[in-house]
Amino acid sequence: MKKTVFAAFIAFWSSIGTLVLVGSLSAHAVSEAEGELSTYTLEQVAEHNTLGSCWMVIEGKVYDFTGYIPRHPTPPVVMEGWCGREATEGMRTKGYGRDHSPAAWGLMEDYLIGELE
Amino acid sequence: MSPRMYKLLVWLIAILPGLVALFFMRSPDTASVGGVLNYLGRLTGIVGLSTMLMAAILCCRVPGFDRPFGGLTKMWKLHHQLGAVAFLLLLAHPLLLAFAAAEVSLTAAVATLTPTSQSLWLGWIALVLMMVFLAPSFAFFGHPDYQRWKWVHRLSGPAIILALIHTALLMRTLPAPWDTLVWVVYVAAAVGALAYRFVFSRVKGRQPYQVMQVERSANNVVEISLQAERSRLDHEAGQFVYLTPFDKTLTNGYAEEHPYTISSAPDEPLLRIAIKDLGDASRAIQTIAVGSQVKVEGPYGGFFPPTELGPSLWVAGGIGITPFLGKVRELARGEFSGDVHLVYCVQDESRALFLEELSGYAQALPGFHLSMHYFYREGPLDEAFLNRVCDDVAEREAFICGPTPLLSCARNVLLGAGVPARRITTEEFELL
Repeated sequence: MKKTVFAAFIAFWSSIGTLVLVGSLSAHAVSEAEGELSTYTLEQVAEHNTLGSCWMVIEGKVYDFTGYIPRHPTPPVVMEGWCGREATEGMRTKGYGRDHSPAAWGLMEDYLIGELE
Repeated sequence: MSPRMYKLLVWLIAILPGLVALFFMRSPDTASVGGVLNYLGRLTGIVGLSTMLMAAILCCRVPGFDRPFGGLTKMWKLHHQLGAVAFLLLLAHPLLLAFAAAEVSLTAAVATLTPTSQSLWLGWIALVLMMVFLAPSFAFFGHPDYQRWKWVHRLSGPAIILALIHTALLMRTLPAPWDTLVWVVYVAAAVGALAYRFVFSRVKGRQPYQVMQVERSANNVVEISLQAERSRLDHEAGQFVYLTPFDKTLTNGYAEEHPYTISSAPDEPLLRIAIKDLGDASRAIQTIAVGSQVKVEGPYGGFFPPTELGPSLWVAGGIGITPFLGKVRELARGEFSGDVHLVYCVQDESRALFLEELSGYAQALPGFHLSMHYFYREGPLDEAFLNRVCDDVAEREAFICGPTPLLSCARNVLLGAGVPARRITTEEFELL
Protein backbone atom coordinates (compact mmCIF):
# COMPACT_ATOMS: atom_id res chain seq x y z
CA MET A 1 0.00 0.00 0.00
CA LYS A 2 2.84 2.41 0.90
CA LYS A 3 4.48 1.83 -2.48
CA THR A 4 1.20 2.33 -4.37
CA VAL A 5 0.46 5.62 -2.61
CA PHE A 6 4.00 6.89 -3.15
CA ALA A 7 3.90 5.86 -6.83
CA ALA A 8 0.56 7.70 -7.24
CA PHE A 9 2.02 10.78 -5.55
CA ILE A 10 4.96 10.85 -8.01
CA ALA A 11 2.67 10.07 -10.99
CA PHE A 12 0.38 12.94 -9.96
CA TRP A 13 3.11 15.58 -9.99
CA SER A 14 4.60 14.12 -13.19
CA SER A 15 1.22 14.41 -14.93
CA ILE A 16 0.64 17.95 -13.65
CA GLY A 17 4.15 18.95 -14.78
CA THR A 18 3.67 17.40 -18.23
CA LEU A 19 0.25 19.05 -18.71
CA VAL A 20 1.51 22.49 -17.71
CA LEU A 21 4.61 22.18 -19.89
CA VAL A 22 2.81 20.86 -23.00
CA GLY A 23 -0.04 23.35 -22.40
CA SER A 24 2.30 26.33 -22.32
CA LEU A 25 4.09 25.11 -25.48
CA SER A 26 0.81 24.68 -27.40
CA ALA A 27 -0.51 28.08 -26.20
CA HIS A 28 2.38 29.74 -28.04
CA ALA A 29 1.64 27.77 -31.21
CA VAL A 30 -2.08 28.71 -31.14
CA SER A 31 -1.49 32.44 -30.61
CA GLU A 32 0.84 32.51 -33.59
CA ALA A 33 -1.62 30.70 -35.85
CA GLU A 34 -4.73 32.80 -35.03
CA GLY A 35 -6.46 34.25 -38.10
CA GLU A 36 -9.32 36.69 -38.73
CA LEU A 37 -12.72 36.15 -37.08
CA SER A 38 -16.16 36.04 -38.72
CA THR A 39 -18.76 38.71 -37.83
CA TYR A 40 -22.35 38.14 -36.71
CA THR A 41 -25.37 40.33 -35.94
CA LEU A 42 -27.38 40.14 -32.70
CA GLU A 43 -30.28 38.74 -34.79
CA GLN A 44 -28.10 35.89 -36.01
CA VAL A 45 -26.99 35.18 -32.45
CA ALA A 46 -30.63 35.25 -31.24
CA GLU A 47 -31.43 32.25 -33.47
CA HIS A 48 -29.17 30.12 -31.26
CA ASN A 49 -31.12 30.45 -28.03
CA THR A 50 -31.53 26.81 -26.94
CA LEU A 51 -29.42 24.22 -25.15
CA GLY A 52 -29.18 22.40 -28.51
CA SER A 53 -27.49 25.47 -30.03
CA CYS A 54 -26.39 28.11 -27.58
CA TRP A 55 -24.51 31.21 -28.75
CA MET A 56 -23.76 34.24 -26.58
CA VAL A 57 -22.26 37.69 -27.01
CA ILE A 58 -19.72 38.63 -24.34
CA GLU A 59 -17.87 41.95 -24.52
CA GLY A 60 -18.41 42.22 -28.28
CA LYS A 61 -17.34 38.69 -29.13
CA VAL A 62 -19.55 35.77 -30.17
CA TYR A 63 -19.21 32.36 -28.54
CA ASP A 64 -20.83 28.98 -29.26
CA PHE A 65 -21.19 27.34 -25.83
CA THR A 66 -23.32 24.36 -26.99
CA GLY A 67 -20.54 21.86 -26.33
CA TYR A 68 -19.59 23.46 -23.01
CA ILE A 69 -22.95 23.50 -21.20
CA PRO A 70 -22.67 19.89 -19.86
CA ARG A 71 -19.33 20.82 -18.29
CA HIS A 72 -20.46 24.09 -16.70
CA PRO A 73 -20.51 23.89 -12.88
CA THR A 74 -24.21 24.86 -12.60
CA PRO A 75 -27.32 23.07 -13.86
CA PRO A 76 -27.83 23.76 -17.64
CA VAL A 77 -30.88 25.92 -16.93
CA VAL A 78 -28.62 28.66 -15.52
CA MET A 79 -26.77 29.09 -18.81
CA GLU A 80 -29.87 28.45 -20.93
CA GLY A 81 -31.33 31.84 -19.92
CA TRP A 82 -28.37 33.59 -21.55
CA CYS A 83 -28.41 31.64 -24.83
CA GLY A 84 -28.92 33.84 -27.93
CA ARG A 85 -28.29 37.06 -25.95
CA GLU A 86 -25.75 39.64 -24.92
CA ALA A 87 -24.44 37.79 -21.84
CA THR A 88 -21.61 39.98 -20.51
CA GLU A 89 -23.61 40.65 -17.35
CA GLY A 90 -23.98 36.92 -16.66
CA MET A 91 -20.28 36.38 -17.16
CA ARG A 92 -19.29 39.34 -15.00
CA THR A 93 -21.77 38.78 -12.14
CA LYS A 94 -22.80 35.07 -12.18
CA GLY A 95 -26.17 36.53 -11.18
CA TYR A 96 -24.99 37.47 -7.68
CA GLY A 97 -22.33 40.09 -8.28
CA ARG A 98 -19.25 37.87 -8.52
CA ASP A 99 -17.09 37.76 -11.64
CA HIS A 100 -16.08 34.45 -13.23
CA SER A 101 -12.52 33.36 -12.51
CA PRO A 102 -9.67 34.08 -14.94
CA ALA A 103 -9.63 30.30 -15.55
CA ALA A 104 -13.22 30.52 -16.80
CA TRP A 105 -12.38 33.54 -18.98
CA GLY A 106 -9.44 31.57 -20.37
CA LEU A 107 -11.61 28.52 -21.02
CA MET A 108 -14.08 30.71 -22.96
CA GLU A 109 -11.57 31.52 -25.69
CA ASP A 110 -11.85 27.96 -26.97
CA TYR A 111 -15.52 28.57 -27.86
CA LEU A 112 -14.95 31.88 -29.70
CA ILE A 113 -16.53 31.80 -33.18
CA GLY A 114 -16.57 35.49 -34.16
CA GLU A 115 -17.21 39.13 -33.37
CA LEU A 116 -20.39 41.20 -33.16
CA GLU A 117 -20.97 43.35 -36.22
CA MET B 1 -21.97 -9.78 12.20
CA SER B 2 -18.35 -10.68 11.45
CA PRO B 3 -15.46 -8.13 11.39
CA ARG B 4 -15.41 -8.58 7.62
CA MET B 5 -19.05 -7.49 7.35
CA TYR B 6 -18.39 -4.45 9.56
CA LYS B 7 -15.49 -3.45 7.30
CA LEU B 8 -17.66 -3.87 4.20
CA LEU B 9 -20.35 -1.74 5.82
CA VAL B 10 -17.81 1.03 6.53
CA TRP B 11 -16.62 0.95 2.91
CA LEU B 12 -20.23 1.08 1.71
CA ILE B 13 -20.97 4.16 3.86
CA ALA B 14 -17.72 5.74 2.62
CA ILE B 15 -18.67 5.44 -1.05
CA LEU B 16 -22.41 6.04 -0.56
CA PRO B 17 -22.37 9.70 -1.77
CA GLY B 18 -20.76 8.42 -4.99
CA LEU B 19 -23.57 5.89 -5.43
CA VAL B 20 -26.16 8.64 -4.84
CA ALA B 21 -24.35 10.76 -7.47
CA LEU B 22 -24.45 7.88 -9.95
CA PHE B 23 -28.18 7.58 -9.36
CA PHE B 24 -28.66 11.22 -10.40
CA MET B 25 -26.33 11.06 -13.42
CA ARG B 26 -27.63 13.04 -16.41
CA SER B 27 -27.23 12.11 -20.09
CA PRO B 28 -24.89 15.07 -20.94
CA ASP B 29 -22.47 13.61 -18.38
CA THR B 30 -21.71 10.74 -20.72
CA ALA B 31 -22.21 12.52 -24.07
CA SER B 32 -18.48 12.58 -24.92
CA VAL B 33 -15.17 11.20 -23.66
CA GLY B 34 -14.49 14.60 -22.11
CA GLY B 35 -17.92 14.52 -20.46
CA VAL B 36 -17.23 11.09 -18.96
CA LEU B 37 -13.80 12.17 -17.72
CA ASN B 38 -15.31 15.33 -16.24
CA TYR B 39 -18.00 13.29 -14.50
CA LEU B 40 -15.40 10.84 -13.17
CA GLY B 41 -13.36 13.83 -12.00
CA ARG B 42 -16.31 15.13 -10.00
CA LEU B 43 -17.14 11.63 -8.73
CA THR B 44 -13.58 11.03 -7.46
CA GLY B 45 -13.81 14.38 -5.65
CA ILE B 46 -17.07 13.39 -3.94
CA VAL B 47 -16.04 9.83 -3.00
CA GLY B 48 -12.53 10.98 -2.05
CA LEU B 49 -13.93 13.49 0.42
CA SER B 50 -16.60 11.16 1.86
CA THR B 51 -13.99 8.39 2.30
CA MET B 52 -11.66 10.87 4.03
CA LEU B 53 -14.53 11.85 6.36
CA MET B 54 -15.22 8.16 7.06
CA ALA B 55 -11.55 7.73 7.98
CA ALA B 56 -11.95 10.70 10.37
CA ILE B 57 -15.07 9.11 11.90
CA LEU B 58 -13.11 5.89 12.58
CA CYS B 59 -10.45 7.69 14.61
CA CYS B 60 -12.93 8.38 17.44
CA ARG B 61 -11.43 5.58 19.63
CA VAL B 62 -14.49 4.96 21.79
CA PRO B 63 -13.68 1.93 24.01
CA GLY B 64 -15.70 -1.02 22.71
CA PHE B 65 -16.31 0.40 19.22
CA ASP B 66 -13.19 -1.36 17.97
CA ARG B 67 -14.39 -4.80 19.07
CA PRO B 68 -16.61 -5.54 16.01
CA PHE B 69 -13.63 -4.79 13.78
CA GLY B 70 -11.44 -7.28 15.66
CA GLY B 71 -9.66 -4.72 17.86
CA LEU B 72 -8.33 -1.19 17.63
CA THR B 73 -5.26 -2.09 15.54
CA LYS B 74 -7.58 -3.66 12.93
CA MET B 75 -9.76 -0.53 13.06
CA TRP B 76 -6.65 1.65 12.61
CA LYS B 77 -5.72 -0.48 9.63
CA LEU B 78 -9.13 0.17 8.11
CA HIS B 79 -8.71 3.91 8.86
CA HIS B 80 -5.31 3.73 7.11
CA GLN B 81 -6.79 1.95 4.06
CA LEU B 82 -9.67 4.47 3.85
CA GLY B 83 -7.13 7.31 4.00
CA ALA B 84 -5.05 5.71 1.23
CA VAL B 85 -8.02 5.22 -1.08
CA ALA B 86 -9.33 8.75 -0.37
CA PHE B 87 -5.90 10.18 -1.18
CA LEU B 88 -5.64 8.24 -4.45
CA LEU B 89 -9.13 9.42 -5.48
CA LEU B 90 -8.38 13.03 -4.56
CA LEU B 91 -5.14 12.93 -6.58
CA ALA B 92 -7.15 11.67 -9.56
CA HIS B 93 -9.82 14.39 -9.09
CA PRO B 94 -7.99 17.47 -10.56
CA LEU B 95 -6.19 15.35 -13.15
CA LEU B 96 -9.42 13.89 -14.53
CA LEU B 97 -11.01 17.36 -14.67
CA ALA B 98 -7.96 18.66 -16.54
CA PHE B 99 -7.96 15.72 -18.96
CA ALA B 100 -11.66 16.34 -19.57
CA ALA B 101 -10.95 19.99 -20.45
CA ALA B 102 -8.17 18.80 -22.79
CA GLU B 103 -10.98 17.69 -25.11
CA VAL B 104 -11.50 21.41 -25.75
CA SER B 105 -7.84 22.41 -25.76
CA LEU B 106 -4.63 22.02 -23.84
CA THR B 107 -4.94 25.65 -22.72
CA ALA B 108 -8.33 24.81 -21.19
CA ALA B 109 -6.76 21.80 -19.42
CA VAL B 110 -4.04 23.96 -17.89
CA ALA B 111 -6.61 26.67 -17.01
CA THR B 112 -8.60 24.00 -15.05
CA LEU B 113 -5.53 23.31 -12.92
CA THR B 114 -4.58 26.95 -12.42
CA PRO B 115 -5.73 28.19 -9.00
CA THR B 116 -7.15 31.53 -10.07
CA SER B 117 -10.33 31.58 -8.00
CA GLN B 118 -10.84 31.29 -4.24
CA SER B 119 -12.51 27.88 -4.57
CA LEU B 120 -9.63 26.46 -6.62
CA TRP B 121 -7.05 27.86 -4.21
CA LEU B 122 -8.88 26.14 -1.33
CA GLY B 123 -8.93 22.85 -3.24
CA TRP B 124 -5.23 23.02 -3.99
CA ILE B 125 -4.25 24.00 -0.44
CA ALA B 126 -6.38 21.12 0.91
CA LEU B 127 -4.69 18.67 -1.47
CA VAL B 128 -1.18 19.86 -0.64
CA LEU B 129 -2.00 19.69 3.12
CA MET B 130 -3.17 16.11 2.56
CA MET B 131 0.15 15.31 0.92
CA VAL B 132 1.94 16.79 3.94
CA PHE B 133 -0.09 14.99 6.62
CA LEU B 134 -0.18 11.67 4.76
CA ALA B 135 3.52 11.63 3.82
CA PRO B 136 4.60 10.23 7.22
CA SER B 137 1.62 7.82 7.36
CA PHE B 138 2.80 6.19 4.13
CA ALA B 139 6.50 6.57 5.03
CA PHE B 140 7.28 8.75 1.99
CA PHE B 141 10.51 9.84 3.63
CA GLY B 142 11.33 6.89 5.89
CA HIS B 143 9.74 5.65 9.12
CA PRO B 144 8.33 8.64 11.05
CA ASP B 145 8.80 9.57 14.69
CA TYR B 146 5.52 8.73 16.53
CA GLN B 147 4.94 12.13 18.18
CA ARG B 148 5.93 14.12 15.07
CA TRP B 149 3.65 11.93 12.99
CA LYS B 150 0.78 12.63 15.41
CA TRP B 151 1.33 16.40 15.17
CA VAL B 152 1.61 16.40 11.38
CA HIS B 153 -1.51 14.22 11.17
CA ARG B 154 -3.51 17.01 12.85
CA LEU B 155 -3.23 18.96 9.59
CA SER B 156 -5.98 16.58 8.44
CA GLY B 157 -8.48 18.87 10.24
CA PRO B 158 -7.69 22.07 8.26
CA ALA B 159 -7.27 20.01 5.06
CA ILE B 160 -10.77 18.51 5.39
CA ILE B 161 -12.33 21.90 6.30
CA LEU B 162 -10.77 23.55 3.21
CA ALA B 163 -11.83 20.61 1.04
CA LEU B 164 -15.40 20.97 2.34
CA ILE B 165 -15.51 24.72 1.53
CA HIS B 166 -14.07 23.95 -1.92
CA THR B 167 -16.85 21.38 -2.40
CA ALA B 168 -19.57 23.72 -1.11
CA LEU B 169 -18.50 26.43 -3.58
CA LEU B 170 -18.34 24.14 -6.60
CA MET B 171 -20.75 21.26 -6.01
CA ARG B 172 -23.17 20.58 -8.81
CA THR B 173 -23.18 16.80 -9.29
CA LEU B 174 -25.71 15.95 -6.59
CA PRO B 175 -29.07 17.70 -6.92
CA ALA B 176 -30.42 19.81 -4.05
CA PRO B 177 -31.21 18.99 -1.27
CA TRP B 178 -29.06 15.85 -1.51
CA ASP B 179 -25.83 17.83 -1.92
CA THR B 180 -26.25 19.68 1.38
CA LEU B 181 -27.84 16.72 3.17
CA VAL B 182 -25.02 14.27 2.32
CA TRP B 183 -22.25 16.59 3.50
CA VAL B 184 -24.11 17.73 6.62
CA VAL B 185 -24.60 14.10 7.74
CA TYR B 186 -20.95 13.10 7.11
CA VAL B 187 -19.55 16.26 8.65
CA ALA B 188 -21.79 15.91 11.72
CA ALA B 189 -20.61 12.31 12.25
CA ALA B 190 -16.95 13.31 11.81
CA VAL B 191 -17.28 16.31 14.14
CA GLY B 192 -19.00 14.09 16.73
CA ALA B 193 -16.21 11.52 16.51
CA LEU B 194 -13.47 14.14 16.79
CA ALA B 195 -15.24 15.91 19.66
CA TYR B 196 -15.30 12.61 21.53
CA ARG B 197 -11.65 11.96 20.78
CA PHE B 198 -10.21 15.36 21.57
CA VAL B 199 -12.64 16.80 24.12
CA PHE B 200 -14.77 14.18 25.90
CA SER B 201 -12.09 11.49 26.14
CA ARG B 202 -9.57 14.00 27.59
CA VAL B 203 -12.02 15.23 30.22
CA LYS B 204 -13.97 12.08 31.09
CA GLY B 205 -12.46 9.14 29.22
CA ARG B 206 -9.03 9.14 30.88
CA GLN B 207 -8.96 7.60 34.35
CA PRO B 208 -6.38 8.82 36.88
CA TYR B 209 -4.12 6.12 38.38
CA GLN B 210 -1.13 6.23 40.69
CA VAL B 211 2.12 4.33 40.08
CA MET B 212 2.49 1.94 43.04
CA GLN B 213 5.38 -0.23 41.90
CA VAL B 214 7.87 -0.45 39.03
CA GLU B 215 9.32 -3.91 38.61
CA ARG B 216 12.18 -4.50 36.20
CA SER B 217 11.56 -7.76 34.30
CA ALA B 218 14.64 -7.41 32.07
CA ASN B 219 17.16 -4.68 31.41
CA ASN B 220 14.82 -3.08 28.85
CA VAL B 221 11.39 -4.09 30.19
CA VAL B 222 9.44 -2.88 33.22
CA GLU B 223 6.08 -3.88 34.59
CA ILE B 224 4.36 -1.00 36.34
CA SER B 225 1.53 -1.56 38.83
CA LEU B 226 -1.16 1.11 39.01
CA GLN B 227 -3.79 1.90 41.63
CA ALA B 228 -7.03 3.53 40.46
CA GLU B 229 -7.66 6.95 42.04
CA ARG B 230 -11.30 6.99 41.00
CA SER B 231 -13.05 4.10 39.24
CA ARG B 232 -11.20 1.00 38.09
CA LEU B 233 -10.96 0.17 34.43
CA ASP B 234 -13.16 -2.76 33.48
CA HIS B 235 -11.12 -4.86 31.07
CA GLU B 236 -10.50 -8.32 29.68
CA ALA B 237 -7.18 -10.13 29.58
CA GLY B 238 -5.01 -9.20 26.61
CA GLN B 239 -6.55 -5.78 25.98
CA PHE B 240 -4.50 -2.60 25.80
CA VAL B 241 -4.78 0.98 27.00
CA TYR B 242 -3.43 4.41 26.12
CA LEU B 243 -1.25 5.53 29.01
CA THR B 244 -0.29 9.16 29.66
CA PRO B 245 2.38 9.68 32.34
CA PHE B 246 2.51 12.92 34.38
CA ASP B 247 5.90 12.45 35.99
CA LYS B 248 7.90 15.66 35.50
CA THR B 249 11.21 13.84 36.03
CA LEU B 250 10.72 11.86 32.80
CA THR B 251 13.28 12.77 30.16
CA ASN B 252 10.78 12.11 27.41
CA GLY B 253 7.07 11.50 26.84
CA TYR B 254 5.66 13.68 29.66
CA ALA B 255 1.88 14.03 29.10
CA GLU B 256 2.15 12.05 25.86
CA GLU B 257 -0.20 9.11 25.36
CA HIS B 258 1.14 5.80 24.07
CA PRO B 259 -0.52 2.39 23.69
CA TYR B 260 0.59 -0.41 26.03
CA THR B 261 -0.80 -3.87 26.73
CA ILE B 262 -2.34 -4.77 30.08
CA SER B 263 -0.45 -7.67 31.65
CA SER B 264 -2.61 -8.18 34.74
CA ALA B 265 -5.67 -10.39 35.10
CA PRO B 266 -9.02 -8.52 35.02
CA ASP B 267 -9.84 -9.12 38.70
CA GLU B 268 -6.47 -8.13 40.15
CA PRO B 269 -6.64 -5.13 42.51
CA LEU B 270 -3.82 -3.33 40.66
CA LEU B 271 -3.63 -2.70 36.94
CA ARG B 272 -0.30 -3.94 35.60
CA ILE B 273 1.25 -2.84 32.33
CA ALA B 274 4.41 -4.29 30.82
CA ILE B 275 6.47 -1.83 28.78
CA LYS B 276 9.47 -2.57 26.60
CA ASP B 277 11.94 0.13 25.69
CA LEU B 278 11.10 0.47 21.99
CA GLY B 279 11.15 4.24 21.48
CA ASP B 280 11.99 7.53 23.22
CA ALA B 281 8.87 7.60 25.43
CA SER B 282 8.87 3.89 26.32
CA ARG B 283 12.59 4.18 27.15
CA ALA B 284 12.00 7.14 29.46
CA ILE B 285 9.03 5.49 31.21
CA GLN B 286 11.34 2.70 32.39
CA THR B 287 12.37 5.07 35.20
CA ILE B 288 8.89 6.46 36.04
CA ALA B 289 8.67 7.53 39.69
CA VAL B 290 6.61 5.51 42.17
CA GLY B 291 3.81 7.76 43.44
CA SER B 292 3.50 9.75 40.20
CA GLN B 293 0.19 10.05 38.40
CA VAL B 294 -0.72 8.52 35.04
CA LYS B 295 -3.96 8.60 33.09
CA VAL B 296 -5.32 5.52 31.46
CA GLU B 297 -7.78 5.43 28.58
CA GLY B 298 -9.38 2.28 27.27
CA PRO B 299 -9.56 -0.64 27.20
CA TYR B 300 -9.13 -1.42 23.52
CA GLY B 301 -8.59 -4.55 21.48
CA GLY B 302 -10.30 -7.89 21.52
CA PHE B 303 -7.53 -10.42 21.21
CA PHE B 304 -9.20 -13.27 23.07
CA PRO B 305 -12.83 -14.13 22.35
CA PRO B 306 -15.29 -13.18 25.13
CA THR B 307 -16.48 -16.81 25.14
CA GLU B 308 -14.70 -19.63 26.97
CA LEU B 309 -11.32 -20.58 25.55
CA GLY B 310 -11.21 -23.94 23.68
CA PRO B 311 -8.00 -25.91 23.01
CA SER B 312 -5.57 -23.19 22.00
CA LEU B 313 -2.11 -22.61 20.67
CA TRP B 314 -0.53 -19.30 21.66
CA VAL B 315 2.50 -18.04 19.77
CA ALA B 316 4.27 -15.11 21.44
CA GLY B 317 7.32 -13.21 20.25
CA GLY B 318 9.35 -11.03 22.65
CA ILE B 319 7.21 -8.39 24.36
CA GLY B 320 4.24 -9.95 22.51
CA ILE B 321 4.05 -12.20 25.58
CA THR B 322 2.07 -9.51 27.50
CA PRO B 323 -1.51 -10.35 26.38
CA PHE B 324 -0.80 -14.06 27.04
CA LEU B 325 0.68 -13.21 30.42
CA GLY B 326 -2.54 -11.38 31.33
CA LYS B 327 -4.63 -14.33 30.16
CA VAL B 328 -2.59 -17.01 31.94
CA ARG B 329 -2.68 -14.93 35.14
CA GLU B 330 -6.46 -14.86 34.76
CA LEU B 331 -6.59 -18.62 34.17
CA ALA B 332 -4.37 -19.21 37.21
CA ARG B 333 -6.67 -17.15 39.44
CA GLY B 334 -9.70 -19.26 38.50
CA GLU B 335 -10.31 -22.97 38.26
CA PHE B 336 -8.59 -23.63 34.98
CA SER B 337 -9.49 -26.87 33.28
CA GLY B 338 -8.71 -25.97 29.66
CA ASP B 339 -5.94 -26.89 27.25
CA VAL B 340 -3.48 -24.18 26.26
CA HIS B 341 -0.08 -24.58 24.64
CA LEU B 342 2.16 -21.50 24.66
CA VAL B 343 5.08 -21.33 22.23
CA TYR B 344 7.26 -18.46 23.35
CA CYS B 345 9.73 -17.28 20.69
CA VAL B 346 12.75 -15.23 21.75
CA GLN B 347 16.26 -14.62 20.46
CA ASP B 348 18.02 -16.21 23.44
CA GLU B 349 17.56 -17.02 27.13
CA SER B 350 18.40 -13.47 28.27
CA ARG B 351 15.37 -12.12 26.41
CA ALA B 352 12.80 -14.54 27.79
CA LEU B 353 10.58 -12.18 29.79
CA PHE B 354 8.57 -13.43 32.78
CA LEU B 355 10.00 -16.91 32.18
CA GLU B 356 10.14 -17.85 35.84
CA GLU B 357 6.51 -16.95 36.39
CA LEU B 358 5.37 -18.70 33.20
CA SER B 359 7.34 -21.87 34.10
CA GLY B 360 5.62 -21.78 37.48
CA TYR B 361 2.19 -21.77 35.82
CA ALA B 362 3.26 -24.59 33.48
CA GLN B 363 4.03 -26.70 36.55
CA ALA B 364 1.02 -25.66 38.61
CA LEU B 365 -1.72 -25.70 35.94
CA PRO B 366 -2.32 -29.15 34.43
CA GLY B 367 -3.75 -27.86 31.12
CA PHE B 368 -1.11 -25.19 30.50
CA HIS B 369 2.02 -26.14 28.53
CA LEU B 370 5.00 -23.96 27.76
CA SER B 371 7.54 -24.49 24.96
CA MET B 372 10.43 -22.12 24.51
CA HIS B 373 11.71 -21.43 20.99
CA TYR B 374 15.16 -19.85 20.88
CA PHE B 375 15.97 -18.32 17.52
CA TYR B 376 19.75 -18.60 17.91
CA ARG B 377 19.40 -22.34 18.43
CA GLU B 378 16.38 -23.33 16.31
CA GLY B 379 16.35 -20.71 13.54
CA PRO B 380 12.99 -19.29 12.42
CA LEU B 381 9.85 -20.97 13.79
CA ASP B 382 8.81 -23.85 11.54
CA GLU B 383 6.21 -26.60 11.21
CA ALA B 384 8.60 -29.31 12.39
CA PHE B 385 9.20 -27.46 15.68
CA LEU B 386 5.47 -26.94 16.27
CA ASN B 387 4.65 -30.57 15.54
CA ARG B 388 7.45 -31.70 17.84
CA VAL B 389 6.19 -29.74 20.84
CA CYS B 390 2.44 -30.01 20.17
CA ASP B 391 0.96 -33.01 18.40
CA ASP B 392 -2.49 -31.58 17.59
CA VAL B 393 -1.65 -28.13 16.19
CA ALA B 394 -4.27 -28.33 13.41
CA GLU B 395 -7.07 -28.94 15.93
CA ARG B 396 -6.38 -25.79 17.96
CA GLU B 397 -7.48 -22.18 17.92
CA ALA B 398 -4.34 -20.12 17.28
CA PHE B 399 -3.40 -16.72 18.73
CA ILE B 400 -0.25 -14.90 17.66
CA CYS B 401 1.22 -11.73 19.13
CA GLY B 402 4.63 -10.26 18.48
CA PRO B 403 6.64 -8.19 16.04
CA THR B 404 5.44 -8.13 12.41
CA PRO B 405 8.09 -10.56 10.99
CA LEU B 406 7.17 -13.18 13.61
CA LEU B 407 3.47 -12.57 12.97
CA SER B 408 3.71 -13.34 9.29
CA CYS B 409 6.16 -16.21 9.83
CA ALA B 410 3.99 -17.86 12.52
CA ARG B 411 0.84 -17.34 10.45
CA ASN B 412 2.38 -19.08 7.44
CA VAL B 413 3.70 -21.93 9.58
CA LEU B 414 0.27 -22.42 11.20
CA LEU B 415 -1.49 -22.36 7.83
CA GLY B 416 1.03 -24.94 6.60
CA ALA B 417 0.38 -27.04 9.69
CA GLY B 418 -3.31 -27.19 8.79
CA VAL B 419 -4.84 -24.48 11.00
CA PRO B 420 -7.53 -22.76 8.90
CA ALA B 421 -7.16 -18.96 8.53
CA ARG B 422 -10.47 -18.34 10.35
CA ARG B 423 -9.00 -19.97 13.47
CA ILE B 424 -5.91 -17.73 13.53
CA THR B 425 -6.12 -14.46 15.49
CA THR B 426 -3.26 -11.99 15.34
CA GLU B 427 -2.48 -8.86 17.29
CA GLU B 428 -0.18 -6.31 15.68
CA PHE B 429 1.90 -4.07 17.88
CA GLU B 430 2.78 -1.66 15.11
CA LEU B 431 0.08 0.88 14.39
CA LEU B 432 1.49 2.25 11.14
